[in-house]
Amino acid sequence: MSLKDLLSPFFVWQRAFEKPYTTLRPTLDRPGAPAYRGFHINITETCVGCGSCQTICQNNAIDMVAVDSYAGRDGDSGLRPRFDYGRCCWCGLCVDICTAASLRMSNEYAWISDDPDSFHFTAGVDDKPWQDNELGYRRAEGYHLNPPKRIEMPMLAAEESLKSFAEVTLGYNEEQAKNEADRCVECGICVATCPAHMDVPDYIHSIRDGDYEKGLQLMYRTNPFPATCGRICTRRCESVCPVGILGEPVAIRWLKRFIVDQVDKKDYKRILEKPIENTDFKVAIIGAGPGGLSAAYYLRQQGHAVTVYEAQETGGGMLRYGVPSYRLPDAELDKDIDHITSIGVDIKYNSRIGKDIMFESLLEDYDAVFLSTGLSVPSSMRINGENHSRVLSGLQILADVASDRDPGIGKKVAVIGGGNVAMDAARVSRRLGAEVTILYRRRISDMPADEEEIHESQEEGCTIVSQAIPVEIIDAENMQQVSIKWGEAKMVDDPKGGRARPVLQEDKIHTETFDCIISAIGQSSNLDYLSKEVQEQLAIEWGKFTPGEYQHTSMQKLFVGGDFANRTADAISAIEDGHHAARGINRFLNPDFYTQLEKQDN
Amino acid sequence: MNTVDEILDYAIDQEQLAADFYEDVAQRVETAGMKKILLDFSAEEKRHKKILLAVKTGEHELTPEQEILDLKISDYLVEVNVSDNITYQDALIIAMQRERAAYNLYSDMAKKVPESKLKYILIGLAKEEAKHKLFFEAEYDERVLTDN
Repeated sequence: MSLKDLLSPFFVWQRAFEKPYTTLRPTLDRPGAPAYRGFHINITETCVGCGSCQTICQNNAIDMVAVDSYAGRDGDSGLRPRFDYGRCCWCGLCVDICTAASLRMSNEYAWISDDPDSFHFTAGVDDKPWQDNELGYRRAEGYHLNPPKRIEMPMLAAEESLKSFAEVTLGYNEEQAKNEADRCVECGICVATCPAHMDVPDYIHSIRDGDYEKGLQLMYRTNPFPATCGRICTRRCESVCPVGILGEPVAIRWLKRFIVDQVDKKDYKRILEKPIENTDFKVAIIGAGPGGLSAAYYLRQQGHAVTVYEAQETGGGMLRYGVPSYRLPDAELDKDIDHITSIGVDIKYNSRIGKDIMFESLLEDYDAVFLSTGLSVPSSMRINGENHSRVLSGLQILADVASDRDPGIGKKVAVIGGGNVAMDAARVSRRLGAEVTILYRRRISDMPADEEEIHESQEEGCTIVSQAIPVEIIDAENMQQVSIKWGEAKMVDDPKGGRARPVLQEDKIHTETFDCIISAIGQSSNLDYLSKEVQEQLAIEWGKFTPGEYQHTSMQKLFVGGDFANRTADAISAIEDGHHAARGINRFLNPDFYTQLEKQDN
Repeated sequence: MNTVDEILDYAIDQEQLAADFYEDVAQRVETAGMKKILLDFSAEEKRHKKILLAVKTGEHELTPEQEILDLKISDYLVEVNVSDNITYQDALIIAMQRERAAYNLYSDMAKKVPESKLKYILIGLAKEEAKHKLFFEAEYDERVLTDN
């Protein structure tokens, strides 16, 4: 032992009387750095509960939990992330992936508690002192872990598309579809918003897996028109896609189309076939449009004998006679309809109710009846001169073109209206070689037509004159033409707070001459096939039905759905009305079965 | 009609006549849905009558100074005749045009009288008819001009 070792205990005692060098709890006085990854903050009003933070967390430190105040909001899952600080490693991946940029981190790092359960907290919901911290980690501007831009759909150039009625959109190839499918965060928020509640994340997942047959099966669970919807759906799902908050929403419609395009029609039976056990029930359906055929499909699957009565010579309704083939090729619509008939749905074409067969006899002969005849009567402008021979209806133009008849529009056309029928009539007219002017009463931003349709009509050379009110139709100098007087409108606020309304400025009237004027200002229903006595029993307001639960009317056997029974008037809503009516008809035909089922559930 | 009471009585009678008109048409039309709409119009006219009765008793004030939005929708639509199978569109056009005629009547009468309580009442009645016309024009804008 050295002398130093011998004397060291005495030196220790020397320290016993000195002031200590350590300081108590030094970290409380030392703030985290400005970009420190500290405790989480969530701006819950911006958050939509997509759960991508939970998915990306490598430590399973995040659970999505229900928060009452966000339940039932459109485009919101009603969930918010709850953090487990026993697991979190503060990597910040959750912040980087957040689709709404609502999640960030404070620079706070000290949290002392003797209750271990307190370290689970729902950021932004549980009151924490750091929630309003200005400092802490934020995702860098423009930094995205998930590509914000969607894969662009290849399309025919406008000049090329005008040469024919060939389909304008060309479809994704496999690589494009998989890359687009990869953008989906599988939150499922789209499912609630879709009128048919399609299994969107699951069928998108099937694209990632390359299992298109499974994707098709998933789609048919809720929608027997996937080829159609994959082309022309109004895609409410995309309007709530969280990826669209900071970027472009996932191209759900195009991915649906991709799956259908991969599966040959001849394989549908093998992929989709389910054994059908026939019942003794017979159901009649009036109208072979999307509503009627959707009901037919799901009713046939339940084993009921289904007969559809259709006034036209082919099925599809507005899908056939209203949507032009450059948007929805006949072959694709037929792919959907042929599968429906292949499972035993019988469609009787050229059968007009009220003429070829009476409605009362259907009620008599069938166990249930579903009505879905849509809005087929064009509204008239009711201005002077409207009966001029060169004023044509937009619906008639589209029906003529769909039936390969020349609508006789000439080379210079005015289209009155701003809905999808007006856009379709305008773009069809361009393909027939006409110069087209669209006169719309309100602003372009007020147009009810799909934004894509409006944009493409302009790309194809249609001129849109907004705030243009038709006032009078008069003879032109040339008997083969027609003139229209239209006035400029100024927009005024609605005193009741509704949308702004156009008001004619009487000192700003223009007169223009065209080869024809196409009127497309709206549509209504034709219920002439229902007798006065039948109509007395039904809740019909302004030509539209207001059905009860499961699309049931006050007449025992009668169910209704589609454009004349809902407010949205699009294909997907009609399809869901048909499916919902099928559920209702099943309950009506098998009440004991469903009562027992409900008892078991309870 | 030279006095305020006479003009108010006239206006009240006109509202009742309008209510009766819609009820008569409701009896003629074939469809239950159309009947209901026309009976709703009749009820609206009866509501207008109640307002005018309240003006007469002093319980309600007319507002001649109020600016009422004029959508001018009915100004350029063709005249529609009542028939057994009028459409919803027709019914609204008839209603708009009746209100416009009533508005014009009171406005024209107001122009012919000097500044007085009578003039004030006539302008007030014209404004009431303008409100009614706006109601029907807004319905037309929402229900018929869906795509325009």
